[in-house]
Amino acid sequence: MKKLSLSLTIGWLYPELMSTYGDRGNIFVLKQRVLRRGFGAEVIEIDHSTTGKELSRIDMVIGGGSQDREQEIVISDLLKKKDAIKALFDSGTPGLFVCGSPQLLGHSYMTGDGTKLSGLGLFDMETIHPGAGKPRCIGNLVAEICDDMRYARGGMRKTIVGFENHGGRTILGRGVKPFAHVLVGNGNNGNDKTEGALCNNFIATYSHGPFLPKNPHIADYLISHALYKKYKKNIALKALDDSLAWNAHEAVLRKCGIVI
Amino acid sequence: MTKVSIRFYIAVFFGRFAQCVLRLIGKSAGGTWPGEIALFICPDFISRLKRESFRLVFVAGTNGKTTTGKMIQTILSAHSFSVRVNESGANLVNGLVSVLLSHPFVSKKPIVYVLEVDEASLPHALSAIAPDVLVLLNLFRDQLDRYGEIRAVVALWKKSIEALFPKTTIVANADDPSVAYVSSLHTGKVQYFGLEDPLLFQNKKEHATDSLYCPKCFRRLTYQGIYYSHLGIWTCGNCGNTHPDVALNAKNVTPPLKGTYNIYNTLAAVLASKVFGISAEDASRVLATFSPAFGRMESIAYKGRDIILLLSKNPTGFNQSLHLVLENKTSSILFVLNDRIPDGTDVSWIYDIELEELEHHKNLKCLVSGDRVYDMALRLQYAGVPTNYMFPYESPRDAIDNFITDSKEDEKLWVLATYSAMLDVRKILTGKKI
Repeated sequence: MKKLSLSLTIGWLYPELMSTYGDRGNIFVLKQRVLRRGFGAEVIEIDHSTTGKELSRIDMVIGGGSQDREQEIVISDLLKKKDAIKALFDSGTPGLFVCGSPQLLGHSYMTGDGTKLSGLGLFDMETIHPGAGKPRCIGNLVAEICDDMRYARGGMRKTIVGFENHGGRTILGRGVKPFAHVLVGNGNNGNDKTEGALCNNFIATYSHGPFLPKNPHIADYLISHALYKKYKKNIALKALDDSLAWNAHEAVLRKCGIVI
Repeated sequence: MTKVSIRFYIAVFFGRFAQCVLRLIGKSAGGTWPGEIALFICPDFISRLKRESFRLVFVAGTNGKTTTGKMIQTILSAHSFSVRVNESGANLVNGLVSVLLSHPFVSKKPIVYVLEVDEASLPHALSAIAPDVLVLLNLFRDQLDRYGEIRAVVALWKKSIEALFPKTTIVANADDPSVAYVSSLHTGKVQYFGLEDPLLFQNKKEHATDSLYCPKCFRRLTYQGIYYSHLGIWTCGNCGNTHPDVALNAKNVTPPLKGTYNIYNTLAAVLASKVFGISAEDASRVLATFSPAFGRMESIAYKGRDIILLLSKNPTGFNQSLHLVLENKTSSILFVLNDRIPDGTDVSWIYDIELEELEHHKNLKCLVSGDRVYDMALRLQYAGVPTNYMFPYESPRDAIDNFITDSKEDEKLWVLATYSAMLDVRKILTGKKI
């Protein structure tokens, strides 16, 4: 058998500014799952010095959570890279944005003290932080992924589990679909049961920090789309032993009273 | 200034009565209920105390409160003070009142209360009563689900220190930029401690590092060297905010416990004792016989084995524990991860720990347990621990039993556990609570 020399480049958005709580877990998972399939994996840390040319090499883009002040620094730099990010988005490059980073994708984000930050405008959605007086959305989050995504690559597990801790409330517009339907927790705004958003292959979720370890199906979704986009063909992923991951996933479901 | 009223005495009576009842039914008297009851009856309980009849020390910070508090207690007790401390876990205002209630208000020796106060309760505690000494240890990432962002905590501390009673002496860690900065705003006396030892600088920056930015102007700080996390010799090139001079450094003390973090705890305790007129030499002599607080490097003999408990409840504390364990060339570690309220309900932080260090210790047996056993096992799997070296058990008792059957006499097991997990393990080993 000819040895595969496929490889993927993972773009990690502002690791220093967007790593509030274990966010790098997503990078560990993606990198190792790519390596365990015998492919090459490279992680590029995106910051203010990253050029448009470097961005164009990225096969997958990952964003974590940040505190409000860091978010301001990030968005002001990201707006300068808007064209390159939009090119990735339009071409079907997969992305995962957890915690507060989806706010960067929408039209705007109103912070707790009333400052309106512009977003990249890639996702038809808006976020408003109702101020320090309103309770934050904190706790375990369980949701069912939308059908579009679930059957895109021949069916996958229905549930996602995570932990949310956010002040902002997001309302989706017509141009974007929810990533999942909330079973337990708040999701986008605590009212309409939508959780996160999905557009092209960018996934936004209010789950924060290490979302992928307990959701290996989403990790593999990102990897297969990245391979498809880069090599223009479906490349089957070798199954891995995910028993610990599913045990951890199911422990959260049980904790939240979901019968499996 | 005496403002004792009938209401106050009723509160004392019912608070103490509750304490007796709790003791009778076998609950720990250190719980917060007696304080809760007294405060319900007399909301301004604290301000009605005869303030001149006792002295008060607050120990605040993310890590090291219990050990530092116990060190201060040890030093002062050996110098004819009657010292009272709050039981672990009970470090809120109601816990404080519970401690006050659990002892007579008068004593032949001068009374000193040494109370640990968690970072979020500090502003509340300071507005309720001004301590004679305020020890500020450090601020690390911990339980975002409860305490919020580090920066919000710093802002709260800043506000309460600006309003602090000028007669309070602050004993502060100069190596922690946020702690040093907020302390510098105090109108009264501030005494700093720091390691001042470049040999202790670490080579590699840890991931879970929050405060590399100036707490005053938010620009990036320049470090001459880092001891661990964000503790080091720092300066801000932008606003001129810089590491203050220290009154006590690592060369002045002999820590009774291993680990860099225990040098800090020792420095804090010795410097705080100086405020009571005890010299660093005297304090160090007393500490030579110091035994650790429960679960803080506490060694328990169990079925012929030596089991050492290391409370590890946030990335910085965990990294320090792991460092210590690996230095000791151990053959078995037990990780116990819980997600109950005292542990923090969010376990995301385990991805901020430098578990990748385990790659260099291939033959280490990793036992895993706790409410979130699979989360921890999965984390270890991604850190490269091979399946045949990993043993997940839903029950901590099963994990310990496995170690007993699988180990030889005198073999050591190091246990890294979150707060409630540590209590669970301790109960298994000693057969009793706390």
